[in-house]
Amino acid sequence: MLRVTNLKAAYGKIEALHGISFYVEKGEIVTLIGANGAGKSSTLKALMRLRPPESPVVTGGNITFDGVSILGMPAHRIVSDIRMTLVPEGRHIFGNLTVMENLQLASWSRKGEDTDKEIRHIFELFPRLAERARQRSDTLSGGEQQMLAVGRALMTKCSVLLLDEPSMGLAPLIMYDMFRTLKRLNAEGLTVIVVEQNAHLALQVADRGYVLDTGEIIAEGSAEELLHKPEIKAAYLGG
Amino acid sequence: MQRYAINILLCAAALVLVVIAHAEMLDKYVLNIIMLIGINCIFAASLNLVNGYMGEFSCGHGGFMCVGAYAGSLLSVAFFADSKLFGAALFAPQLAPFLFPLVLLGAVLVAALAGLLVALPSFKTRDDYLAIITIAANYIIISLIENIDAIGGPRGFSGMKKTVNAMSDLVDLPWMLMWTLLGVLACVMVIRRLMSSTYGKGVSAVCQNEVATEMMGINTNRVKIMAFMVSSGLGGLAGVLYAHVYGYVNAQSFSLLKSTEGLVMVYLGGMGSISGVLMAAVVFTLLIELLRFIIPWFNGTFHDTIIPWLNDVLHKLNLLSADDRLHTDYQLDQIWTWVIIPLMLILLMRFRSEGFLGNRELTHVFPRLKHWVTLK
Repeated sequence: MLRVTNLKAAYGKIEALHGISFYVEKGEIVTLIGANGAGKSSTLKALMRLRPPESPVVTGGNITFDGVSILGMPAHRIVSDIRMTLVPEGRHIFGNLTVMENLQLASWSRKGEDTDKEIRHIFELFPRLAERARQRSDTLSGGEQQMLAVGRALMTKCSVLLLDEPSMGLAPLIMYDMFRTLKRLNAEGLTVIVVEQNAHLALQVADRGYVLDTGEIIAEGSAEELLHKPEIKAAYLGG
Repeated sequence: MQRYAINILLCAAALVLVVIAHAEMLDKYVLNIIMLIGINCIFAASLNLVNGYMGEFSCGHGGFMCVGAYAGSLLSVAFFADSKLFGAALFAPQLAPFLFPLVLLGAVLVAALAGLLVALPSFKTRDDYLAIITIAANYIIISLIENIDAIGGPRGFSGMKKTVNAMSDLVDLPWMLMWTLLGVLACVMVIRRLMSSTYGKGVSAVCQNEVATEMMGINTNRVKIMAFMVSSGLGGLAGVLYAHVYGYVNAQSFSLLKSTEGLVMVYLGGMGSISGVLMAAVVFTLLIELLRFIIPWFNGTFHDTIIPWLNDVLHKLNLLSADDRLHTDYQLDQIWTWVIIPLMLILLMRFRSEGFLGNRELTHVFPRLKHWVTLK
């Protein structure tokens, strides 16, 4: 479904991705793991065609979705036409809007459609959000904000969800809850690409994984294989 | 009905104002101040759309007011006055009251187009860098207009009084007061409608986080173009009204100092609060006018009362010999306005940086007002 071929991307003159290739099939959970600065977040930003200076400029290679190159598309069209979206690192919820307004805003690309059903589904996935629907979202706890960020992404009716460090700053229990919900969404048909520092947790829910190191893919395989590879265990899973 | 009570009250107040002005019970100077308050309300509220709601820092809003002032003035003269520039008037002066909205609309459209000068660079530039671009845009507009000799160049442009007189000749009404009040109403309604629409939510979202906004499938470029163009268009409306109230425009009236006045009003009222900014526009305009009286009064008091009193005290304390007297020839003049106003801005930023209302509306501060008002 999503195929990345020899992708090169750079921040100014500094190349962050040196020609990485990977693929994601429909209905999979794929994880990108690696140390800080390995290029995981840059890969997601390049996939979403975000603009500099926050994201790198693609300098080579190709990204195709169902065989069609998406390199020429602006980010908002990737969300509205390709149905792929990103939950950025640090959540970035709209603090001055209520929970409900955050969710409604996310259905922008589907103006005129009835979104009540999706909002109900999101409230069923995250009952805490239902309780706080009318509350300003900057008053939510970190965990609730992450729920809102995922809920908001789902409101775009995405078929591919990209998550950048979803466990960052979350208490362990909430973190496990979040990954359980991702697994449930995946069972409902959502394709998930997750970038995660907590490689152990990510590989537990993922089908396959890629290991990035300084802008290159150094290992790939099923989550099971990666979990048991001695060098991966030593470098990323704490031995 | 109750929900519209304050709107009805404001409309009634505007109507009473027009009637009073019509009965010539208002001093011309007071009438001018009221119109200037209206113009400043439009100017500040339109700037608030970009600086308050969208979170960008536009420092060159005076430039768009200038474009609106000149575009409207040129249209006005071409339509209703015989001039060297355009030759005979396009329409009979009797049509002025009916076609004046076209002048306003033309000015708004041209100013909105000028807004592209800032909107297009904003796609890839933001924060301080965009602020520099807005300053540059202000300079470009002023310099450009000042160097077009056909429209008066540095001498300015006049002839709009003929349009205003043509309206008064047909029906004797305080026309410019009416257009100004209608302009304020239209400006507030456009901004309120816009901000309560999905587009408006997009504007707030861009303010909060542009990346997250794009991830919602929102075309942030389109949102920015719309916000900048509406803002500059309404700035142009303030300009065209200003030009017709005074009957004369000069590009230098819309320099960075004018843009700074706009910033002062926005920050005084509270960024992102339309009621706060309107209050600030009223307070700011009145303050500048009051200083016209306060400074000479203080100057008189200083020379006639304070200095003699000081002399008495110093003599009594034997700090000054009987023959010596403190005296000064220094006269406090209007230049002090521009010391006092910036000083107030410094104090405001130090002690109440959120301005009158912060990003809240009057209805948030006084929730009971919600029963009586709806601005949508």
